[in-house]
Amino acid sequence: MNKLFPTQEIGSLSKPKWRVKAYRGNPLSEEEITEALNWGRKLGISDLEKFAEILREKNSPKRRKAILEWSAKYAIKLFETAGLNILYDGEQWRSEMYEHVIRRTAGFEFLGYVKSFDYRYFRKAACVEKPKYSKSFYLEEFVFTKKNTERVVKVPFTGPYTLVDWTFNEYYERKLVDKIKDFKLRKFEARREFIFDLIKEVLRTEIKKLVDAGAKWIQIDEPAVTTNPTDEEMKLFVEAFNELVKGFNCKFSLHNCYSNYAVLAKYVCDLKNCSQLSIEFANRDSRDLGTEDYVRKGYGDLKIFEEEGYNGDYGLGVIDVHTNFIEPPELVRDRILYAAKIVKDPVRIYASTDCGLRTRSWDISFKKLQSLVSGAELARKVLS
Amino acid sequence: MIGCYVTGILPRPDELIEKTRAYDRGRITEKELEENFSKYTDIVIEAQASLNLSFVTDGMLRWQDLLRPFVENLVGASVGSLARWFNNNTFYRKPVITEPLERSGEIVKKVTYVEKLPKNRQWKIILPAPYTFATLSENRYYKDENELMFSYAKILNEEIKSLAESGFSYIQLSDPALTYDPFKSGIDKDTLSFIEDSLKLAVRGLKVKTCLQTFFGDFSKILPEALDFPVTHLGIDIYETNIEEVRTYDFGKGVCLGLVDARSSLLEKVEELVGVAEKIIDSIYPSKINDVFIAPNCDLEFLPWKRAFEKMKLTREITGKLEEKFLE
Repeated sequence: MNKLFPTQEIGSLSKPKWRVKAYRGNPLSEEEITEALNWGRKLGISDLEKFAEILREKNSPKRRKAILEWSAKYAIKLFETAGLNILYDGEQWRSEMYEHVIRRTAGFEFLGYVKSFDYRYFRKAACVEKPKYSKSFYLEEFVFTKKNTERVVKVPFTGPYTLVDWTFNEYYERKLVDKIKDFKLRKFEARREFIFDLIKEVLRTEIKKLVDAGAKWIQIDEPAVTTNPTDEEMKLFVEAFNELVKGFNCKFSLHNCYSNYAVLAKYVCDLKNCSQLSIEFANRDSRDLGTEDYVRKGYGDLKIFEEEGYNGDYGLGVIDVHTNFIEPPELVRDRILYAAKIVKDPVRIYASTDCGLRTRSWDISFKKLQSLVSGAELARKVLS
Repeated sequence: MIGCYVTGILPRPDELIEKTRAYDRGRITEKELEENFSKYTDIVIEAQASLNLSFVTDGMLRWQDLLRPFVENLVGASVGSLARWFNNNTFYRKPVITEPLERSGEIVKKVTYVEKLPKNRQWKIILPAPYTFATLSENRYYKDENELMFSYAKILNEEIKSLAESGFSYIQLSDPALTYDPFKSGIDKDTLSFIEDSLKLAVRGLKVKTCLQTFFGDFSKILPEALDFPVTHLGIDIYETNIEEVRTYDFGKGVCLGLVDARSSLLEKVEELVGVAEKIIDSIYPSKINDVFIAPNCDLEFLPWKRAFEKMKLTREITGKLEEKFLE
């Protein structure tokens, strides 16, 4: 990037109602079709007559595929229209970051829902056999995205540590029953073997396909990092990341959020070939304007990363994805300028959302992204 | 005695999960949700009774997390932001303490189906221990964590007395914060002494059995002090504890061995767990065996209901084998 504060998103956008219903094979009401077409006009998408015909068609594999493509095309155009420099397809092809990969990989069995909090749950699988590459899970969407934008493409890629942390580890725990008597050690070694098999047998295969198809930047999503903040676990995460990205001619970055940054900071310097750390900050920050420490308290943890000697780039979360509050561009500007003061070299800062925008409506997401772009421009003006 | 029971919140069966999600999305009414909680509480109670568990709980299906009934009902506390539940991909809402804590009425009975518990069985209730409650709270009122811990312990005592009067004969105080120690910083003797005092306050005047259940951490790190805690039983998470260290102590009180892994879906080999339990029992009771309970190491809600039930069956099976060995 040859300008300061390039703008980027993290990955997901919510799926519009027409995308969800049509992909499930349900008919759409005329109101839903009109809404889809209105968004198309707003985003300047061509061939809307053809799209309208698809929306009215009966369910078929061909129609389902077309729906995914149109949905991705819409998301790409939404990001472009908002003015982002770096983007993907809003993860419109994926059901969810964990399930999408696990369902397309051999060796797993979904056991059912477990509680996340309150009345929220997630579907959890068990690894019952050695994981094996079955079919590609990101390649097709990447090729489609690349074909449909001239902007920089960053591929969100669910990392091995998170996939393993969110999965029951039956196969490897069973394998070690007679070999390791100490329960704690057995579980750790089983986890370790699971992670490295997953990397070797599945994830590196997919990365190779992406790189061969022209991927230049892959963002490894690891929300589970620091769930277990022990030294052994954090070292395991670092080793896994390094093994995953080793030897590829591609730029890699790490995304982590809602996490313990004091713990993460101690280990990020050991990550090899990790050019950007994109993390959530806006969620922790005040909404007041200003660049003083007491106002920008949400960004204080940046100092920890700097003190630990991290010298890579930051994907600086300046947009909170868990609220409908539209950050004014001036607030985005001040968050960026405050961070620039801490990291000294402003070239290291990319203006970003905290995390994926999947919990926000398209209307809110679009406004938030426009603010992100405008705020970055204001910050550029100040520093120029 | 050698017995068995569950040690925490049970998972909601799949059909109940669907109902709670429907409620969350405004598709069913509160009344319909309540009818479903009632229906599935019958099922999880029956599941425990069918396995002949020594003490039965109502399954705690309505509990959003271990602390929530207290946070929602105590004067001086309010429900705060989401925070990670120790090292799990599960979250709780932080209690925010802004005024002196006060008990204005029944707390746990509001969310417990006391009337559904079978009359021909002994009942168990599970509550947050003082140290865990204080540690996990955001304290904006009391001068320090100890003051908050004692204030909560006093309330806990009133609550336990009321529950005991209603027929609960076994009180488990869950204390994961006491042993969870990812940075290996240890817990100092002064803190352990304060914890002991807070427990004295919590169980003062009680005649029922009490257990301080630890999990997610190494129980051996709080020995020997824990042996003097004013509870009848001590609960140990076998998957996190240095067993060899535990075996060097002579226990003057009962234990609950968290032998069945509630955070793994793999069904363990019965013989292996029986062997581990035998070794521990032989070591900590060199002369006379005290009460021993076999249990999952923590809440079974980390598993889907069907697998959780399999784990409960396993718990019963291990207990049976140990009864044969030690009580023959």
